[in-house]
Amino acid sequence: MTQTATTDRAASKPLPRKPWNRHLLAIAVLAVLMVPVPLLLPASQQSIAMRVLIFALMSVGWNIMSGFGGMFSFGHASYFGLGAYTSAWLLVESEVSPWIGMAAGVLVASVFAVVSGFLALRYRLKGAYFALATFAFAEMFRLLATNTDLVNRAEGYHVPLKVDESWWWMQFAPTSPNYFWIALALLIAALAISVLFLRSRTGQFALAVRDDQDAAAALGIPVIRYKLLTMALSAAITSVAGAFYVQYYLFIDPDLAFGSAVSIQAILPAVIGGVGTIWGPVLGAVILGPLSDMTATLLRNPPEFLAFLAGRGGLDVMIYGVLLIIIILVLPQGIYSAVRERWFRP
Amino acid sequence: MKKAWFVGVALVAPLALTACGDSGTGGGGATGGGSGETIKIASLHPLSGAAAADGQQMDNGAKLAAEAINAAGGIKSLGGAKIEIVSADSQGKPEVGQSEAQRVIQDGAVGIVGAYQSAVSANIATVAERNKVPFVIDVSSADSILSQGYKYTFRVQPSASVIGQQGAQYLFDMSKAAGKPVKKVAFLHEQGPFGTGVRDAFTKKATELGFEVGPALSYDAASVADLTTQMTQVKASGADVLAVTGYYRDGVLVAKAVNSVKPPVNAVYGVANGAFDLPQFPKETGAAGEGYFDANYHPDYTKQTTKDLAALYKSKYNDDIRTGAVLSYDAVRVLADAMERAKSKEPQKIREAITQTNLESLMAQSGPIAFDEKGENKGAIPILMQVQKGVVNQVWPADLAQAEPTYPAMGG
Amino acid sequence: MADHQQGVSSSGVAPEEDLSTTQTATVGQSRRLVDAFTRSRLIVVAVIATAVVLAYLRADSPVIATQAIVTGLLIGGVYGLVAMGLTLIFGVLDIVNFAHGAFLAVALFITWWLVSSMGFHPYLTMLATAPIMFALGYAVQRGILSGAMGKPLENQLLITLGISLVLENALLLFFGANPRAVALPGNQTVGVLGAVADLSRILAFVGALILAGLLFLVLQRTRLGTAIRAVAANDTGAQLVGIDTRRIYALTFAIGTACAGAAGTLVAPLVTVEPSTGALFNIVAFVVVVIGGMGNVVGALVGGLIIGLAEQLGTIFLPGQSPLLSVFIVFVLVLFLRPQGLFGRTS
Repeated sequence: MTQTATTDRAASKPLPRKPWNRHLLAIAVLAVLMVPVPLLLPASQQSIAMRVLIFALMSVGWNIMSGFGGMFSFGHASYFGLGAYTSAWLLVESEVSPWIGMAAGVLVASVFAVVSGFLALRYRLKGAYFALATFAFAEMFRLLATNTDLVNRAEGYHVPLKVDESWWWMQFAPTSPNYFWIALALLIAALAISVLFLRSRTGQFALAVRDDQDAAAALGIPVIRYKLLTMALSAAITSVAGAFYVQYYLFIDPDLAFGSAVSIQAILPAVIGGVGTIWGPVLGAVILGPLSDMTATLLRNPPEFLAFLAGRGGLDVMIYGVLLIIIILVLPQGIYSAVRERWFRP
Repeated sequence: MKKAWFVGVALVAPLALTACGDSGTGGGGATGGGSGETIKIASLHPLSGAAAADGQQMDNGAKLAAEAINAAGGIKSLGGAKIEIVSADSQGKPEVGQSEAQRVIQDGAVGIVGAYQSAVSANIATVAERNKVPFVIDVSSADSILSQGYKYTFRVQPSASVIGQQGAQYLFDMSKAAGKPVKKVAFLHEQGPFGTGVRDAFTKKATELGFEVGPALSYDAASVADLTTQMTQVKASGADVLAVTGYYRDGVLVAKAVNSVKPPVNAVYGVANGAFDLPQFPKETGAAGEGYFDANYHPDYTKQTTKDLAALYKSKYNDDIRTGAVLSYDAVRVLADAMERAKSKEPQKIREAITQTNLESLMAQSGPIAFDEKGENKGAIPILMQVQKGVVNQVWPADLAQAEPTYPAMGG
Repeated sequence: MADHQQGVSSSGVAPEEDLSTTQTATVGQSRRLVDAFTRSRLIVVAVIATAVVLAYLRADSPVIATQAIVTGLLIGGVYGLVAMGLTLIFGVLDIVNFAHGAFLAVALFITWWLVSSMGFHPYLTMLATAPIMFALGYAVQRGILSGAMGKPLENQLLITLGISLVLENALLLFFGANPRAVALPGNQTVGVLGAVADLSRILAFVGALILAGLLFLVLQRTRLGTAIRAVAANDTGAQLVGIDTRRIYALTFAIGTACAGAAGTLVAPLVTVEPSTGALFNIVAFVVVVIGGMGNVVGALVGGLIIGLAEQLGTIFLPGQSPLLSVFIVFVLVLFLRPQGLFGRTS
């Protein structure tokens, strides 16, 4: 694997492995393996599988900007929420198909990413300041949505139920495998886009800018343009997750769309799985997805020594926190990278 | 290639683990309880969070109803089958309510009662509709829940528009009868669909009757700690009545704020207020809560059955029963009554039977519990109550009154 | 490597001190720098004054505007105290401590527990909360954060995020989500310039100022304080003169956490005691720190007052919106226009 720049920082950041075709093949194999899953899974596990897919999609989106692009975002809920609210608003107010709504959401989120990104870059926000700015934007969206009549204030939107199953309206029976397949298709597409992005000139330039912005600029790479492209792509993928969320859960409100929990959900799988790798976010989502359900089941009927915790909430997020601390201290590159170094060394 | 296998296994393994660890969920949808001897009804309320005290009471109310029905022989048309209440915690959050509803249905519940917060009930209604399981709302006022054409959701309490309208009417009539007709009402409400819905209905009727409503001030019920700022605005507004819509905790905060800011109003007038008509309120606020009105649905304490239930609750749980618990009691009775008439525990048949309900209620109503085509309870009305010398009395309309209203209630 | 804006004053308590020690400044240059400095301060004062005047014009009655100002300044003192701890941590350790609000929440619950189960007077509990939080901060820094010193910014942010998740959810798990209240015995409403304020709010403000003064004294007059400022100004240099930087890091973090803890006790009678209350103060503390200039302790206190004011005035200018929105608007403006803060040095 070629190492680029000579700075310490670059050496500590992982590069995704070439050759790209192997990645694409792996994605295809994964897709095929996963297709029969919803037919084999009992209904109670379906919701967990869906959560894993949605987490993975959000995190793949986050990874593009913060992992490959090196611009740490603490407010990815902005894009998720914009995707969710755009498609929900169009659906409820104007009877627009969620597929079109999803595309509209992508447009809105990308435009916002480019505009806010441009402002941030123009005013040279970096590092902590940049992260805090992204957080501030997400919170502002949340507060605005909560108090603005145009988007139903704190009440949010309910997706109206259609009588029959419909692909046009993306609504099916509660236990239909179609939801899984749509989410899977979206995730596969996102992963493929990640690979193609990295393989492309845009992606290579984005990596170069991440590793050493000044050197890249000295080489004539238009830094701002590629940063903005990266941000737009990241926003687009995350907004798709938001739009799909609305269709699956049939409900969205300002907290579910723009809350800090959403931003954290986009970050955690990538960090735990491996920032800046293609498979890291997926691995992280697989680990974190079932966690909430497992802790909820545990606390519903706890063993003797935990009886005083019965019916309480918060154990799952606490475990997220512990995992996060452990991973950062012990495996800062994430599980996938650590494993890859051990197992897949050619 | 190795990558794909690795990730593939990694994907399936946790799911398999969860399947092992799961406590017996079994397969798909629900068509009824297991053996036919117990029938599960889910009680889905906020057992934790800001509304936990009310949620806990409502859960208790549901359990008392099941006990009473079982003691009287269970569902006789199903061979004396017993009702089992499955309690679930919505945490006051719509998404949790939704997933809990899904879970209890998959675990075999044939009916759900709940859920207190309108946003939570709206989500549960969606789940109920998709899974074709009847959902009887005990407490949730938002009109929008039942305006979607859902066939599986019913509501025993009066809707926000009924309460808002009647509240405005009662205020108008009562203040006129006292010689000081109301002119301007400042409206303080929780910012969610509950508060906003009641406010809108009240304002519409007020405009019809000819008095002004404004300013409208809102707050976040879940996190508010102090209402002094809003109260200062009320004081500066020149309103002669302060109307309040909210939950129990913020109702107490209102009393504190009124006590310190002392706006020159003739009365504090709750509309569907979750605090002012509860026995706990005057105990907690003392002199500060004296004279407060509440136009709200209320148990009918002129009925013996209601008095018995209150006594039973007190002896079993060592606490005064709140209105919500009486509504949950009624809601479970509705389901059981429907099962009895349908002679079936299938959710779809139960739903059919509910539409034909004609059941005496423990609440103060204008008639028995009967549902219209939207699922609203035709007999449900609010009545007006006032805190008088530390006791909550029914004061209006006259045929349900225990005492005369005092208006103006405050210095003014 | 902390990847933050060049020219941010990462040291320093009083900006004037920094200026006078700028080595390359000639007399003429330093005079111009001082002018620029005074100018920026005057601009800030002018903006605030304009905002206040506009508020009086916009409000339905002058009483409402006065009420907003009084309430804003009073809570601003507490914001300042919380932010001082945060900015100190940043100035010395270069850590963006996202767990600051969670520590405050822990202190809130300790206060509540002591008051409700042992009947202590709320302010008396500070004798317990401050030392407990100090110890907790020390332990966290030595145990967890020392392993992350010098690592990229993202890692630090993530670790402190992890700590905040653990702390907040531990509170949620053990105490439950039901909101609780701490009552101040003898609480009453006091008239202040035509507006009203709870005694608890006034006492919180006074307490915050006292503690801020104490902190300032420690930093300026004690050996420990000098050592802390030395490490903030020049880490390697401090080591060279024999200061045990590891101990200083831990102590500074502990002091910062103790500030959050003390603030928690002070605000307990004012807020709803629930695990999520900390998150609210966390956000505001970050905004204040940026406004005041990262690492600038005096800036944090003044910034706190400004933000408290902005929050309350926001309810007049943007009625129907959350007061927090105006805080964020100010935040974004400062981030873009003057990221080194209103009191930091210009680059």
